Amino acid sequence: MHDAAAGTVSALLATPIEELDETALIRMAQKGDQEAFERLVREYDQSVLRLAMNLLHSPDEARDVYQEAFLKVFRNLHLFRFDCSFHTWLYRIVTNVCLDHLRRRKVRKEESTVVETPDGPVDQVSRIAQEGATGNPERQTWNRELSAGIRSALEGLTPRERTVFELRHYQGMRLRAIGDVLGTTEEAAKNCLFRATQKMRASLETFV
Amino acid sequence: MKCSEIVEQFPFHSYGEVSPEVEERIESHLAECAECRAAYAKHRSFMEALDRREDANEAALLTTCRIDLRRQLAAEGTRRAHVGWFENLRDFSRFHVPLRIPVGAMALVALGYFGARYTPEKFGGIRAGLTQPMFSNVQSIEPETSGKVNIAVDEVQRRVVTGSLGDPRIQQLLLDAVREESNPGLRVQSIGVLKNSADSEQVRRALIDAVSHDPNAGVRLKALEGLTSYAGDADVRKTLANVLLKDDNAGVRVRAIDVLTSHHDDSIVGILQDVMQKEDDGYIRTRTRDLLETMKASVGTY
Repeated sequence: MHDAAAGTVSALLATPIEELDETALIRMAQKGDQEAFERLVREYDQSVLRLAMNLLHSPDEARDVYQEAFLKVFRNLHLFRFDCSFHTWLYRIVTNVCLDHLRRRKVRKEESTVVETPDGPVDQVSRIAQEGATGNPERQTWNRELSAGIRSALEGLTPRERTVFELRHYQGMRLRAIGDVLGTTEEAAKNCLFRATQKMRASLETFV
Repeated sequence: MKCSEIVEQFPFHSYGEVSPEVEERIESHLAECAECRAAYAKHRSFMEALDRREDANEAALLTTCRIDLRRQLAAEGTRRAHVGWFENLRDFSRFHVPLRIPVGAMALVALGYFGARYTPEKFGGIRAGLTQPMFSNVQSIEPETSGKVNIAVDEVQRRVVTGSLGDPRIQQLLLDAVREESNPGLRVQSIGVLKNSADSEQVRRALIDAVSHDPNAGVRLKALEGLTSYAGDADVRKTLANVLLKDDNAGVRVRAIDVLTSHHDDSIVGILQDVMQKEDDGYIRTRTRDLLETMKASVGTY
């Protein structure tokens, strides 16, 4: 058995890293290969950061979530046994870290993303969004107002509702997978999504 | 299906989260009910409005995050290299066999039984156990509608480990404590214990490292005490010379002179002459001059 395992590892080592599939990358990362771990991170880190940004609306907190989540993945990767997809396992960690941040924030009230500058108050999140904005100025203004409305509506949700809504609507994740990620049933995730949608609709009544 | 039931299904229908049967029922209901069709149209425009949210452009932030993560992973690698025998114990759990859980459980029971009976009294090995109370920190509280409550708790267990100084595992724990950045008192205590084992190369390295880099002068002084008997060692002398020339604490510099001069070696003349040129502290200059005169070396190069 030991020889077979050694053979597998040798075969993995002989394959160029860019040709390895996810399972092989995970196995190599579990053996301590940092390059394999970094490739795994690159596969997912953009969507992880986007999720954190959209849930927390704070670049600083999103950055903290990114570091905290991937360090947890690094420290616990040896415990990953392939009994669920790596995506589910990773998102379980990421959403837990995000939920911790959201709950802590509930205790100390929502943090404003608006900072004072010499040119007056600026919303950090809008500023990041605007950097990439192009096209019709009126549409941009409308979209900005709508975005602010959506952000405010999302802030009216509980941390769990916000996470479920973000994962379903903006990340396109299936309810069953959301249930797996949050350690609950598909039915519970469905109920949560229903409550979140009702609240969002009520908050965004003026935009629809 | 009633109109109210149909409307309740809109969110799931628009996400494709309904069964084919429910989907068919909704669509046939919509074909017949104008009121529900209007409600569905409104729901669709709500969904489209949600899609017009401006997502943050995280490209620049992503680059920063990747750089930070790489730095943290490098630090993690260094930390792992130092963790020693505790990590080896954790590595043991990486073996994956089908009967891992039952075998592990039986092994724990057996370990507890035999460990409690024999280890402390008969073999005098390391005694380890959990002490009460357990330290816990409630991170969040989330009530459920059912009346239950979810409480997230971070728990820290304190373990008392007892063993002789000669035991490499005890030494490793003490060496880990020397690197405990947040607690200088602990570093002083661990160096105070370790300095009696400076004949170990690893311990001597740790003492040299503490003398050269520890931000706390008390820790540096304690580490200097441990190096006194090794004043003849080339690496130790080089470290002491650096301390003498660069340490910002006069007390540490005085102690470095004490240690450096406890071993007769004319090669330190140059260092002492440098000290005479750079030292501002009157007492240290006097000590250095006395030493140079005792060694019949020139003190007039400054």
